Amino acid sequence: MIVLVPGVPALLPSYASLDDPVADLRAACAAAVATLGPQVRVIAASAPAEKVARHLLATAGLEVVDDASDILVVGNGSAMRTEKAPGHFDERAEGFDDALRAALVAPDPAALASLDPALADALWADVAGIGAAAGLLTSELTAEVGYDAAPYGVQYWVIRWL
Amino acid sequence: MTLKLGRHTFADGATLMMAIVNRTPDSFYDKGATWAEDAAFARVATVVEQGAEIVDIGGIKAAPGVEISPAEEKARVVDFVARVREAYPALVISVDTWRAEVGAAVCEAGADVLNDAWGGADPELVDVAASYDVGIICTHTGGVTPRTRPYRIDYDDVVAAAIGDTVHYAERALAAGVARESIVIDPAHDFGKNTFHSLEITRRIGEMVDTGWPVLVSLSNKDFVGETLDLPVGERLIGTLAATSVCALAGARIYRVHEVVETRQVVDMVWSIAGRRPPQRAIRGLQ
Repeated sequence: MIVLVPGVPALLPSYASLDDPVADLRAACAAAVATLGPQVRVIAASAPAEKVARHLLATAGLEVVDDASDILVVGNGSAMRTEKAPGHFDERAEGFDDALRAALVAPDPAALASLDPALADALWADVAGIGAAAGLLTSELTAEVGYDAAPYGVQYWVIRWL
Repeated sequence: MTLKLGRHTFADGATLMMAIVNRTPDSFYDKGATWAEDAAFARVATVVEQGAEIVDIGGIKAAPGVEISPAEEKARVVDFVARVREAYPALVISVDTWRAEVGAAVCEAGADVLNDAWGGADPELVDVAASYDVGIICTHTGGVTPRTRPYRIDYDDVVAAAIGDTVHYAERALAAGVARESIVIDPAHDFGKNTFHSLEITRRIGEMVDTGWPVLVSLSNKDFVGETLDLPVGERLIGTLAATSVCALAGARIYRVHEVVETRQVVDMVWSIAGRRPPQRAIRGLQ
């Protein structure tokens, strides 16, 4: 089993608010992560992404083990979907996210392995973990999408591959 | 410490707004605006809407003036407490009185807290609080007679005096049978204190918090703010809020106020700066 979650720092307890700004996302992450385990390998490409993965797994009572067969991948689409997005608006963002979504949902390991790193960087997309996991997302898997939205101008997905 | 105020309990670390409701014709700030019972009741509705957890109903102004008998004080507050109790079951009702006789009557009518602004002038007030299982506010006045102004009062150390007297009062209440979590201490700014004393109390309020007893501060529009800024009543809100923020940073729990909304914002902001309260909703930079 493989699960994708976005590395959203607002999911961390150290950044908790009284009113949870990512309540729906948090619920979707928890539901997907709960189907993993008990041992899970984490594929994350940044310190915040790693922290989010470890927090979600710890909350679910799961153990991080480097060679486990269940995998939690951390990544997300662009951060330039709107004027108020962290990276401001970029007209290429929606197309980039649409292509990425299609490759994730298919899944299409070749497309995921060949994501344009320069464009991803330009759009502040966190796709390094997704690229690293591409070889595992073989085409016989079926994607179950638990969350697909860009509430703060950043494209998030929670996807479970069975 | 968890607070238990009559029928109501509040979690450790919760801050509370105690809104002043005067059933007086002559209090310094509102000058009788809520003297009529319906006006006072409308004031209760307003402060509840604004989020006050507590109303502090008083029938006698603090400053010297026409003597108000216990019978007259009861006539001003007892039925009013009953009316508020019935209309707002979730509201904490405090009554500002130093008289045990009045305290018993308002507890019968549904009060949750006896706010003894005059520092135990009537020794039987603690027994009333104990027998009705209500909260009590133990204030420091330097031993002055109720409704007198401070005149050439001298302290070796005003904070030590305030701590000594309020903690002694709190222990007396505890010994009388008042629940530990129902006892609050209040340095009583301006009561038995000149402006320098009240400023020092504010500066060192953390020493009162360190006693472990929950601290109430009553700063709202008082003369120490007015004298410090040379501003009349009606222009003291900003100074009041500055003092409020200092007390909040030190950890005072209850704020007796005229302006609920402004004080709540200041206390929430400072409580969050102090790391005791998460932001209401933070997402900037965390998407």
